Amino acid sequence: MNESTNHGQGEEESHCYLPDLCTQRNVLAIVLMAELVAIVYTLARFVSGGGFWMELANTSFFLMWAALAGAASLCFARPFLARASLSTVTLVAFSIIVLITLAISEMAWAIGHYASGQGLAGTIFPDDHGALLVRNLGIAAIVASMILRYFYVNFQWQRNVEMEARARVHALQARIRPHFLFNSMNTIASLTRSNPEQAEEAIEDLSDLFRVSLSDSRQRIPLKEEFEVSRIYQRIEQLRLGERLRVRWLVNDLPMRALVPGLLIQPLLENAIYHGIEPLPEGGEVLIEGFIHQNQMEIRISNPLSEDDPQHSYTGNQLALANVKQRLELAYPGKARVEVEQTPGEYRISLFLPIVENEE
Amino acid sequence: MKILVVDDEAPARERLKRLIEEQDEWQVVAEAANGHEALERADATQPDLVLLDIRMPGMDGIETARHLAQMDEPPAVIFTTAFNEYAVEAFEASAVGYVLKPVRRGRLAEALQRASRLTRPQLVSLASREQHQARKHISARIRGELRLVPVRDVLYFHADQKYVTVHYPDGELLIDEPIKELEEEFADAFVRVHRSTLVAVAHIEALAKDAEGHYEIRLKGLEERFPVSRRLAPAVVRRLKDA
Repeated sequence: MNESTNHGQGEEESHCYLPDLCTQRNVLAIVLMAELVAIVYTLARFVSGGGFWMELANTSFFLMWAALAGAASLCFARPFLARASLSTVTLVAFSIIVLITLAISEMAWAIGHYASGQGLAGTIFPDDHGALLVRNLGIAAIVASMILRYFYVNFQWQRNVEMEARARVHALQARIRPHFLFNSMNTIASLTRSNPEQAEEAIEDLSDLFRVSLSDSRQRIPLKEEFEVSRIYQRIEQLRLGERLRVRWLVNDLPMRALVPGLLIQPLLENAIYHGIEPLPEGGEVLIEGFIHQNQMEIRISNPLSEDDPQHSYTGNQLALANVKQRLELAYPGKARVEVEQTPGEYRISLFLPIVENEE
Repeated sequence: MKILVVDDEAPARERLKRLIEEQDEWQVVAEAANGHEALERADATQPDLVLLDIRMPGMDGIETARHLAQMDEPPAVIFTTAFNEYAVEAFEASAVGYVLKPVRRGRLAEALQRASRLTRPQLVSLASREQHQARKHISARIRGELRLVPVRDVLYFHADQKYVTVHYPDGELLIDEPIKELEEEFADAFVRVHRSTLVAVAHIEALAKDAEGHYEIRLKGLEERFPVSRRLAPAVVRRLKDA
């Protein structure tokens, strides 16, 4: 069976950080921005007695053409840039803005030239061709850089917000598996008479588990605590599955103070039990091992697979796995990875993550 | 009323037992922790009713119910499940009795009073709705005793006028199911090579042409040749290429 590594990480990532400039709201924003630039530009050239309003009108007139033509071109170019790389998007957008400014400047000069040829007042149109081009292209290049930078930062920020929101939702879905809740309740219902003390303990364990699962998923906790949570979970399942469930912990080599995202191991243990142990009439053993490789640690979780229908046993596994991957990526961008190995009788997940002992 | 309680979790069985025995007219005659055990105990104790958990290792509740239905005096069946939206939907749709765990006293009493035997249409509809899971065993009664054959041991099914014969290494079994339904249920592992024959892909040794240019199939460990019908030949060839 092939492992879908992309699952849950969303569609192919797009680098096109340009917003859709054709929406009404964005067009209004562009008009306002162009007007602000016009005011700044005019203010910068302000001298007492000079016709400020006439100057502003001229500049606005020119800038409005440039801004709207630029926005329209970017709007048309956007679909073609959807799959382009970051540098291509930047280069193309930058060139479009500069070229549009160039074109509008040329048009303004040509009209001015024509107008003065016709004996019309030359004041509102520029007369020095070279200076006009240098000035306008210089300003266009600087403003284009600023705008693109702003778009980029905004895009990144939005994407982060989305990713975190998605991770939180996934975390919730992955953690409180309704099956687990109802099974536990059923076990407790039966223990209340036959073994009230065990029932009491199970309720305490269940409360602890839910408290952790409702806390902030981005918070990092020491590995020791994470293992503690997993052991609480194991205790609850033990009541239900009895001798069928055996868990072996070989994690003494790991730095227990290292900080990890909360609920990193527990969902994987839950999967191992749900998909690996429960389908086996005789039960089996889940093995949790820890290794150190230089500055990385590896946490490996292995469980037996029913040979009857491994396919069926594993269809439900993807969600928790995708969730763990995503949270690792959020916590240690580019520095953590997850490996999955499946043989006919065994399923194994290895998490590789950096050892971090202090919150940065 | 004699009741058999089937659940792979001991605490769950215990609680059901206690709830049932609070009533004098009900009596738990046996318990089982999985489908195989359930079938054995049912044979031995002839219960009137079986409380059957859906999610069990090995043979699940729905498959167990299908084999129970082969008994001479099939018991009534009530399914139990902790959480399974698909199953609940399926029960509602086929009007099959079920209770949700943790089981309420009142709800259990109600279900026990209303319980009835499952009919064949109910069973087929359940099996096809519940996330389409194929059975892992084929069952039949032989002189009053239930015989189970693991599906992965089956070499081929052969249809006569009325019955289908299941051929497996240790013998044959007559079952009363249309070959069309078998073909649909076991589409993952079997391929129809002829109007009357459905063979296990895993047991195929070779696909070859005979002297007259017709395709025929040889199965591992069998002398017999199975003719492939002209109409089905392209599909069979494709299927074997993929395998």
